[in-house]
Amino acid sequence: MKRKVGALEKVDADLSSLQYKVRRDPTSYREDFLGQYEQYEAQRQIFMQAPASVTDTGIVSFRDLIDFVAHVADCYPIDTAQFPEDLIQLVSLHHEHLGSELREKVVGSLVLLRRKDIIDSPRLLQTLFPLLISTPSKSTRTLLYQKCLSDLRTSNAKTTNHRLNRTFQTVLSNLLTSDRTSPKGLWAVKITRELWKRQIWTESKAVEIMKEASLAENEKIVIGGVRFFLGGDKEREELDDESSDEDAIDMGKIKHQIGINKKTKKKARQMENAVATVKRKERKKKQPHPLNFSAFHLLHDPQGFAEDLFFKHLQNTKSRLNLDQKLLVLQLVSRLVGLHKLTIMNLYSYFIKYLTPRQPSVTSFLASLAQATHSLVPPDVLESLVKKIADEFVSEAVAPEVASAGLNTIREICVRQPLAMNYTLLQDLVDYRKSKDKGVMMAAKGLLGLYREIAPGMLRKRDRGKDATMGLRSGERKEQRFGEEAIGQIEGLELLEKWKEEENQRRIAAKGDDVEPGPSDDDVDDADGWEFDEDSDSDSGGWQNVSSDDDAKDADRIGRPLKKARHDRRTSVETEEDEEDEEEDQEEDQEEDQEDAEKDEEEQDQDADKENNPDQASEAARLETAVSSLATTRILTPADLAKLQELRLAASINNALPASQRRRAAAAHQAALQRHVDDPLTAAEIEGLASLSSKNTKEQRIAIAKAGKEDKDEVKKSTTARRKEKKQEQGKSTTNREKARKKNFLMTLGKAKGKQKKSLVDRGKVLKAHKERGKRGGKRGNKG
Amino acid sequence: MGSSAKKKKDKKKDFQKPKLKVGKARPKPANFTDTSFKSKAIVLNQQSLTTAAPSATSQFAHHISLLTSRTDSQRRDSLSYLTTAIATRPTNAPLPQPVSVLLPKLFPLTLDISNGVRSQLLKLLRALPPRDIEDHIGNVILWIRAGVTNLAAEIRSSTMDMLAWALDCAGDALVSCAGGWVKTLKALIIMQGWPMESSPQAWSSTKTTFGKLGSDGKALAKSLTTLAAFLEAGLHDRRQEQGMQSMSWGWPLNHVEQHMISRRSNCFAYLNLFGPPPDEESQIYEDRGDRQRVFANRFRKPIELGLEAAKQGGGDVGRASARVQKAIKDGMKDFDGLN
Repeated sequence: MKRKVGALEKVDADLSSLQYKVRRDPTSYREDFLGQYEQYEAQRQIFMQAPASVTDTGIVSFRDLIDFVAHVADCYPIDTAQFPEDLIQLVSLHHEHLGSELREKVVGSLVLLRRKDIIDSPRLLQTLFPLLISTPSKSTRTLLYQKCLSDLRTSNAKTTNHRLNRTFQTVLSNLLTSDRTSPKGLWAVKITRELWKRQIWTESKAVEIMKEASLAENEKIVIGGVRFFLGGDKEREELDDESSDEDAIDMGKIKHQIGINKKTKKKARQMENAVATVKRKERKKKQPHPLNFSAFHLLHDPQGFAEDLFFKHLQNTKSRLNLDQKLLVLQLVSRLVGLHKLTIMNLYSYFIKYLTPRQPSVTSFLASLAQATHSLVPPDVLESLVKKIADEFVSEAVAPEVASAGLNTIREICVRQPLAMNYTLLQDLVDYRKSKDKGVMMAAKGLLGLYREIAPGMLRKRDRGKDATMGLRSGERKEQRFGEEAIGQIEGLELLEKWKEEENQRRIAAKGDDVEPGPSDDDVDDADGWEFDEDSDSDSGGWQNVSSDDDAKDADRIGRPLKKARHDRRTSVETEEDEEDEEEDQEEDQEEDQEDAEKDEEEQDQDADKENNPDQASEAARLETAVSSLATTRILTPADLAKLQELRLAASINNALPASQRRRAAAAHQAALQRHVDDPLTAAEIEGLASLSSKNTKEQRIAIAKAGKEDKDEVKKSTTARRKEKKQEQGKSTTNREKARKKNFLMTLGKAKGKQKKSLVDRGKVLKAHKERGKRGGKRGNKG
Repeated sequence: MGSSAKKKKDKKKDFQKPKLKVGKARPKPANFTDTSFKSKAIVLNQQSLTTAAPSATSQFAHHISLLTSRTDSQRRDSLSYLTTAIATRPTNAPLPQPVSVLLPKLFPLTLDISNGVRSQLLKLLRALPPRDIEDHIGNVILWIRAGVTNLAAEIRSSTMDMLAWALDCAGDALVSCAGGWVKTLKALIIMQGWPMESSPQAWSSTKTTFGKLGSDGKALAKSLTTLAAFLEAGLHDRRQEQGMQSMSWGWPLNHVEQHMISRRSNCFAYLNLFGPPPDEESQIYEDRGDRQRVFANRFRKPIELGLEAAKQGGGDVGRASARVQKAIKDGMKDFDGLN
C-alpha cells in the first residue's frame, strides 16, 4: 500500500540523499548509517516475528531500507557483516510470504552485494537456484532465472570459471537425476541450453546434463533435452553470427563528426570508447576459433544413449509421449545412429508399422529412416524396408506427391547404403522417370543418377549413360562391398609435393651451381613461410591439420569448428571422398570380384582392365610412397595448407571445363557445400520435389514474383534524391558539384565578368593551370 | 478562396434543418449516446434487512479494519472511536477484542505519517489495561526501536512518548525482555547522536544528524527525560519493595518468594528454547546486576560524554541531562564492577 507523502515529510525521510552523502563520506555519516541500520534491524525483527501478516507501512518501507543498506554495505563492512546472511535467510525461509516487490528487492540487493564482491558467486547461486525451482511466483522465477544466468555469464566473462561451472553443473545434474518425474528439471534444461547457446558451457558435462534430461520421465523435460540435441548447435551458430555482425562502428564517420562538431569531453569519451570497441573487435577477429564441438560429438556413450532413448521413449508402450514428441525423439535417435554409425537392430523393424502414406507426418518418419541408415547397417534389414516403401508409396495408383516422397526416401537410403537395393526393384523404380508428373520424374531421375555414380552395374545397359559405361569398361567404377572403408589421406598432397620439388629446382637454378641440392625448403619455410597472409585467403585455420593423418570420417567426427572453418572442412571431406574413390579404382586390380548380375556382360570390360593393370599398379605404388613420405616426414604449416588449397582449386576438374559449364559446376559444388555430414535430413527435403507435382495458380505465381520486389516500389525517388540519401548514409553532406549548382546566380556574375576582361596571356595561364590540375587529379591532387 | 468556400459550406451545414418525415422516427442528433441496455436479469445486491443499527462489537471490529485505511483522517477517527469504546466500557468488563488481537493492528501506526494518528494512538494505548500489555512487551519494544531510529523527527518524538508509556505500564518487563536492554539503549544513544565508541573523531567534527532534528530543543529534552526514565527502570533497585513483602512470612519459611514459581508469563523465556541463538545484544538481561554490568561496559562512557556536552547547553536540556546523570548515579552506586 502506498500513501501519498507530503513534501515536507519527503525531505525528512530522504534515504536517497542520505545514501548519497554516505557514499561520499562514509566516516562522517557513520552514526546516521548506524541509525538506519538499527531501523532496518528493527523492521527485520518485526517481519521475522510474523512474516505472513506484515504490511508495508510508514514513510520508509522495509524495502527501501534494504535497498539503502545494500547500496552502502561496502562502506561499512564490519557493521554489515551479518547483512547478506540475514537477507539470504529472509528470502529462503519466507519467500512465499514476502510481497512481490519486497522479494524482488531482496533478490536485487543480493545481486548488488555480489557485484560489490561482498558475497561470492557460489553463495549467490546457492541461494537463488533453490528459490528458482521452488517459488510459486512466475515473475520471481523470471527474475531469478535472469539473475542466475547473468551471474554465471559475468563470472565466466574474463576467463572460464571452471570451479563454479562444475559445481553448478553438478547441482543441475543432481536436480535431474534425483527425481526423474518432477517438472523442476526443466530449469536445468533451460539454463544449460542458454549457456550452451552463449558458448559459456561448451564441455561434455553440459551435454551430459542434457542427456540426463532426455532420459527423464517428464515429457517436457524429455522434449527440452531432445530439442537441445536437435537444434542447440544451430542456435549457437546463429547467435555467434548475429553478435559478430551487429553494430559495426564506422570509424571514418565518427572521426569526421569529431572534426566538425563541438569538442566536448563527452564526445572525446565517445571517441575513445569507439576506438576501444573497434580494437577489441579486431583482436577478437584475429584470435583463433575456439574449439567448439557439437553436442553430438561430446556425448560419452552414444550407443548407450541411443539405445536408452529408443527403448525408453519409442519402443516402450507405456511411454506417454504423443506423436509429435515421439517424432522428435526418433529424429534424435536416428541422427545419433547415422552420425556415429551405431547399431540398433530393433530400430528398423520399428519403422515398418509407420511406413504407410496414411500415417500422419509420414515424411518425418521417412526422413528419420533415411537418416538412421549408414554403411554398416546390414543390407537385408534395409531391403525389406525399401521394398515396403516401394510397395506403399511408389505405384501408379498413389498421388504424385506421395510417389516422389517415396522415391526420394529410397534415394536417400541408397546414398547411405547402396546395397539395400536389388536389381529388379531398381529397374522398376528407374522406369518412373518416364512419368508424366514432374516431381515423380525428377525423383526417379535422381535415383538413376545416384546409381550411375555408385553402382552402374545394377542398371540396365541403356540406362547407364555414357560416363558410367565408359567407367565400367575402363574399370574406374566399382561397386563398394559391405563394410568396406576407404583409406584416408590428405587430398591434393601429391600436388603440393610436386610443387615443392619444382620450387626447389627453380631456386637451385637461380642460385647457380654452388648451392648443393638438398631438402632446403625447411629453411625457407622457417624464414617466412610458416604463417601465410591472412588477408589473401580468408578461410584457414591452423588447427586443421589435426585431421591430417586420421581417417577422413574420424576427423569429421572429432570436431566441428565454427562456420568459417567448417566450410573448409566440408570441402576437404568432400574432395577427400572423391579421392578415395579414385584410390579404390586404382587398387581394383587386386580384387577379383565382379557384379554377379552382369558377369557375362562385363567379360570384355575385364579384358580391358587387365591390359591396363601393370601400368596402373606401378602408378599407384609411386603415389602411395610419395604421399606417405610427405605426410609422415614433415609437419604441414598453415602456409603449406593454404598452398595446398590453392593447388587443389587449380587442379580441379572445373578448370578444364568451358566457362558456361564451369559456372554450373561451381553452383552444384556450392549446393553440395551447403550440406554437412552433421546436418540433419529433414522432412522438407523428402517432400522437396512434391512442389513440382502441382502447378501453382496464377495468384500464387504473382505473389512469388512480387515477394522479391516489395521494398523497391515503396516510394518512387529521383536519382538525385537517391544519390543524396546515399551520401547522407555515409555521413557526408553535399558534393562540390551540388554546391556549385545551387550557388546563387548573382554571386557567380562577378567572376564571369572578370573572365571576359582577361588578357590573352591570363586566359592562357588559366587554361594551362586547368590542364595541369586535371593531370594532378584536382586541386589537392591524388596524393592524399 | 478555396478555404473560405469550404468554411462557408461548413457553416451552412450547421444551420441545415433535419428533414422530418411523416411516419418515421425523429432523426437522432449527432451526439446521441445509446443508453439502452439488454440484460436477462437485474440483480440487486443483498440489502440489510435489520432495522437496528449494527451492534457495538461489529462496529468495533469494523473500525479495527479501518485502521489500514488510506486517508489519515479515517485512521484517526477510527482510533478515536476505539479509544472511546474502550474507555467508556463498564468497569471490569472485558475488552471488546482481546489485546493480542488489537496490538498487531495498532503497532504499524507507530510509524504513521500523520501526527494526529500517532497522538491518537498514544491515547488509545493509554486507555488499554496496563496488565495486559506486559505479556506483549517484546513486540512493543520492537516497534518502539523502529520508531526511535526513524528518519522523521516527529515520529521519533512521538515514539518517545510511547516509550514513556511502555515504561509506565511494564517498565520491569521491558528492560528484561530479549534485546530490551542493550538494543534499546543502543538505539537511544544513536538517536541522541552520541558516538558509540570513543572513535578518534576530530574534536572539531560537527555532530551529524540524520533527518531533521526538529529545530526546538524540546525534542532533545524529551528524549533525555525518557532516557532517564528508561535507565531508572533498568538500574533501579527494587529489592526494598520486595523485601517488605518477604517480611510477612513466619519463622520456618524464609525467602519463600525466591522459591515460588514466577508470576510472569513465559517465565522460562531466558532459556530461549525455540528462538534463534542469541547474540550479546538480543540476550535477556533479567537480573539488575547483569544490566549494570553491560551498562558499565558498553554504554556508560558514551552516555556520560554526551551528557557533559548536553548539560552545557543549559535550560530544559541541561535539566533533563542532570536527571539522567542522577539516574545513572543512583542506579550504579552499588555496582562494584566485579559481579
